Amino acid sequence: METVISILKGVHPEVDYETETGLIDKRIFDSFDVVNIVGELMDEFDIEITAEHMVPENFNSARAIYDLVRSLEEE
Amino acid sequence: MSFITIDFALFVTAVLLVYYIFPKKTRWTVLLIASYIFYGITGITNLIYILVTTVSAFICAMLIGKQGTKQKEYLKEHKESLTKEEKKSYKAGIKKKQKLILAAGLLINFGILVYLKYADWTIAYINLFRLSRFGRTDFIPFRNFILPLGISFYTFQTMGYLIDIYYGKYEHERNPFKFALFVSFFPQIVQGPISRFGELAPELFAEKDFDFTRIKSGFYRIMWGLFKKLVIADRLAGYVSGTIAQRDTYRGPYILLAVFFYSMQIYGDFSGGIDVALGVAEMFGITLHENFERPFFSKSISEYWQRWHMTLGTWFKDYIFYPLSLNKGIIRLGKTVREHGMEKIGKRIPIYIPMFIVWFTTGMWHGSQNRYVVWGLFNFLFIVLGTELEPLSQKIVLKLRLDEGGVLMRSYRVIKTFWLMSFLRIFDISKDVPSAFNAFKLIFKDWGSFRIERVFDELSLPFEDFTVAVTAIVIMFVFDLIQRRGSVRKRIFRLPVPAQWAILSLLVIAVSVFGYYGPGYDAASFIYGAF
Repeated sequence: METVISILKGVHPEVDYETETGLIDKRIFDSFDVVNIVGELMDEFDIEITAEHMVPENFNSARAIYDLVRSLEEE
Repeated sequence: MSFITIDFALFVTAVLLVYYIFPKKTRWTVLLIASYIFYGITGITNLIYILVTTVSAFICAMLIGKQGTKQKEYLKEHKESLTKEEKKSYKAGIKKKQKLILAAGLLINFGILVYLKYADWTIAYINLFRLSRFGRTDFIPFRNFILPLGISFYTFQTMGYLIDIYYGKYEHERNPFKFALFVSFFPQIVQGPISRFGELAPELFAEKDFDFTRIKSGFYRIMWGLFKKLVIADRLAGYVSGTIAQRDTYRGPYILLAVFFYSMQIYGDFSGGIDVALGVAEMFGITLHENFERPFFSKSISEYWQRWHMTLGTWFKDYIFYPLSLNKGIIRLGKTVREHGMEKIGKRIPIYIPMFIVWFTTGMWHGSQNRYVVWGLFNFLFIVLGTELEPLSQKIVLKLRLDEGGVLMRSYRVIKTFWLMSFLRIFDISKDVPSAFNAFKLIFKDWGSFRIERVFDELSLPFEDFTVAVTAIVIMFVFDLIQRRGSVRKRIFRLPVPAQWAILSLLVIAVSVFGYYGPGYDAASFIYGAF
């Protein structure tokens, strides 16, 4: 989880990722941010994120992103 | 067999009868046979093309699926003995094989499509190059292929399926005949919508009861589609093409009106055709994906493309944009640029490069002419400008104390988007790129010479037709607006039965009386049928 948060901090340091659950819905992240975060995640965790994972639910909070990473690591 | 013929109506009626007489379990076979008859009528050679696509995609999907099963079984069997690294390396080996099979499938099918669609375009450039470089006048002859009906649509749909199987989105279809129906389902083969296997297969193969409401609902939708196609689109076609062809005579407002009418024409034509397709499918108890969501009410070009030809847009997004955008190479390129102090540019690379490719491809998809490519690239440019200028636009809105969510700003954005998209369509109706630019320039000339009578008397749009077209356009938009609050047909079905019949009768009369049946009562072909 710390690694995920540190990647997110690299993009938007001002956000409180422990509590924020509307990263996409509140437009805190734009599409440029999401794609760049996905790039960092794929590099860091050696996972493959594809089009079907690119839904708001997977990126609305640090927890959701962490869960996505975990599920892809287990595949 | 066009959708707008008595033959098609009789064909659908006959298939419906046989379909509902057959036991529920085997009804899909009726659809398969009907689809092949429908397609066979368009030309026996066309059947060969669709069979090649069906067989090659079926085999490739099966081989990819088998590799997946092999992997599952191997990993299950050696669950305890393999290290994490060994598992990973095994998976990588399997993925490589699957990738090769996928590449073969894509190459065969897109190869056929590209060859048929772009052979003459390529030959023209080769001839030009040989002439300019070597002075050779022994030109390579054009092939003049006639594109098999709906080849772009069924190729995209089938390749989408293959890519989904590669990503393990669902199990491959094991019954070749069921798969053949997925590829060839006749209502959608002419001009889409482009369906996904996960959505369409359960619809095609579910054992549904006969439901008169769905027959009625489908019929309403077909009539509504015919209204848009025959009353609006076909009526305007003559004015649009006539004005653009004689643009040196009819300038300024004549062209502007043609641009406006062409937007109405293409919307009536394409969304009308889709209504017919969805209505026919509905009569068989099959729900197809919607392809339009009131696109002319979009507040930006990006939004417009999420609401116009939606199934093609999501196809490009899922199978071209994201795979490129999430490609490690492109992401690394963006990162490298960011690390070299160009934060803003680097951040945009994984979005804008794939978007450029998507729009280039979308342009090419529409036709093998440069004007379509230029049209695609202008779309790309406008989307980039819209995105980059959005912060500035927000600042202006704040400074002028305008209400972003208010009627004024929303109307401004809707009108702006509508006209930007309409102006871009000049590339669609012009014969080449210079003509399109020329037509655009001529919009600003000779405004003083405009006489509405000349539209009626000289430009294939007599006063009566003009009045019918404008009234029908207003009706179309009113229904679009009502539809925002839910299905219009469901509302109609809540009315007393006589009122339901009265509305349906009005619709049928409107189509019969005000439909534009052209010279010899031969309705114009669907514009998107040619793509």
